[in-house]
Amino acid sequence: MRPSHILLTLFLLLILIDTALYFHAKRLAITLKDDHAVQAIAVAGLGLTDLCVATEARYTRHPAVTDPMAPFMDHPGAIEHFPSGSFWNAPIYTNTR
Amino acid sequence: MIPKGLEKQINILDFSLSSLWRRKLKNLGIMLVFGVVIFLLGSFQMLTGALTNSAEAVLGNTPEITIQKMSAGRQEAIPRAYIEKLRSIYGIRAIIPRIWGYYFDESNLANFTILALDSNAMPAGNKLNLTLSQGHFPKETETGTVVIGRSVHNILGLGTRRMFSFFRPDLSLKSFNVVGLFSQKTDLLTNDLIFMNLEDARDLFALPPSMVTDLCVYVANPAEIETIAKKIALLLPDTRVLTKNQIQKTYQVVFSWRSGFASICLLTALVAFAILAWDKASGLSPEEKREIGILKILGWETSDILAVRFWESILISTLAFIIGCTAAYFHVAFFDASLLKPIMVGWSVIHPPFKLLPSVTLGDFLLIFTFSVLPYLGATVIPAWRCSTVPPDSVIR
Repeated sequence: MRPSHILLTLFLLLILIDTALYFHAKRLAITLKDDHAVQAIAVAGLGLTDLCVATEARYTRHPAVTDPMAPFMDHPGAIEHFPSGSFWNAPIYTNTR
Repeated sequence: MIPKGLEKQINILDFSLSSLWRRKLKNLGIMLVFGVVIFLLGSFQMLTGALTNSAEAVLGNTPEITIQKMSAGRQEAIPRAYIEKLRSIYGIRAIIPRIWGYYFDESNLANFTILALDSNAMPAGNKLNLTLSQGHFPKETETGTVVIGRSVHNILGLGTRRMFSFFRPDLSLKSFNVVGLFSQKTDLLTNDLIFMNLEDARDLFALPPSMVTDLCVYVANPAEIETIAKKIALLLPDTRVLTKNQIQKTYQVVFSWRSGFASICLLTALVAFAILAWDKASGLSPEEKREIGILKILGWETSDILAVRFWESILISTLAFIIGCTAAYFHVAFFDASLLKPIMVGWSVIHPPFKLLPSVTLGDFLLIFTFSVLPYLGATVIPAWRCSTVPPDSVIR
């Protein structure tokens, strides 16, 4: 077998795996669409504003309704110390005022 | 019948593959490092994209206007009397007072979100039972009853029990009866949530009857949200007024390349790879130079030698790219992004399951491809061209 034939087989295998993942993504999207309908009811009925991803600090649990300077409010000169805070970008200051 | 030009390229490809296999340890090592860098970049992009997409899909029904009272730069409880002041603004359909906050459970070190409002007054409030896997939402008359998220149930270790107690600020105990459990489908929103009646939340947080945490405002005409928000801001100068549009924008920026720690880690990996590629670009090994010299003596042209190097580089980088991106999808879709999740949730005791659809967009792939494959191609082909233009006898001597 020529080396290029082995390479072709490898590429075909990868294409096969990625095609299977494509169909997995399609199926997952349909499942999640059903979930999103239920989640939309929860958001409307409870007035939720944020995803529950990190629960360690209020500014990463509810970034949409938190002050941009909340991470530094513990005392004058406080530094931000929660690990999740370093992963999340500060939301733009969207206050109407 | 294969065209002659194509046959030549297939022969060169065969030669390149044999050449790669001769130095398999080195080449597999480079491919591994390359693949890991692409895997990390791809995982980060797929995870943050998936969270952004989820937020966009489900946060369309957030309160149209949220009013919070500010004092000394901090949010504090807002007087219920502000509701009466707001009645003067024409166009407001409903003002719903809400109490919410956090309860830190010292025995489990978990932070729960407590939420209380009159759900009957909310949009879709009559459909809320659809969000539960069992039980029902507490009626206004059912005091001491709660609906809890799945992680709250697990962390409190309730099992089949329905009662639990929390401490009030004066350390007296307040008991709750669980009448409902949020569905797995809403985990991304309600995993740490405890929903209760306004009176129970007031009792738990020792909040005076005249105060609430914030006000949710709904307007008659959605086109007037911004105008009414400005009127509220003028009428209540000590408040912060957030509109639905502003809340939704948060999740478009909160996960991005600019987020500190993650970008530092990923950029470090990228720089490490750039150093590796630069090291390779700074010169070929004597063995590689001799090989090029021998090929030239045997009659190979400079273009053929460049074609061999090009095939070698494109094979290593393309394979690393495909394998890295495929592994990134597996990581996010099947393993809950378990390598990035500990950084993202930090010291949280509650770890929500990430049932997310990895965000796979052409733009992201092109970005990763441009940052990784193209520099590697340049870094390997250019030194080969420099070497193949020198006289062969000086190289092999």
